[in-house]
Amino acid sequence: MNLDRYHFIIANDYRKYIFYSDGPRGVIKKVITYTRLSDTPLTYNLAFGDENAAGVVDDAVVSDNQDRDMVLATVASTINLFCDRYGNHFIYAEGRTPVRTRLYQMSISRLWEEINENFQVLGFVNGDWEDFQHNVNYEAFLVKRK
Amino acid sequence: MSTVKKAVQDILHEDVISDKVKNYTDEPYFVKKAEKAKEFLRQHPIPERYLKK
Repeated sequence: MNLDRYHFIIANDYRKYIFYSDGPRGVIKKVITYTRLSDTPLTYNLAFGDENAAGVVDDAVVSDNQDRDMVLATVASTINLFCDRYGNHFIYAEGRTPVRTRLYQMSISRLWEEINENFQVLGFVNGDWEDFQHNVNYEAFLVKRK
Repeated sequence: MSTVKKAVQDILHEDVISDKVKNYTDEPYFVKKAEKAKEFLRQHPIPERYLKK
């Protein structure tokens, strides 16, 4: 993907990434982690949140730094690096709330052309997984690099 | 420009691999997220049709 994104610090195990969102609300430290969820099929959880000055991470605060697509492009870049190291496996992601998940969906839709080139994206809706479609409110996503 | 902002821009003009990144593995936020995801996938596993691709 050749979208604008933030540079990040990569932990040497390639499972943790740190970057700084920079916008009207200031500089916000973001942390992304990949955690192994299951072996069959091999699936990882992608989670990310804001780390506050006390070193506590959560995503309870809507940072609203007007850089959502850039943040998503940054997350997508970490998926590429993670897959380079660990292989192309399913990666699960969801927002803390339906609203947050919907925001992810809107960003995926906006960046779909670039995302679809490199990733298979599934969405969970009405009790089943399906190929990602625009304008569907998904509860969760699975991403796999092609 | 704040000192923090300046420092961040100075540091992250490129991607950096570091062995000093905090180990977030036990961070309650991430532990909880992983547990929730595991339970969701236990209840709603990836369909076979997607595993064969």
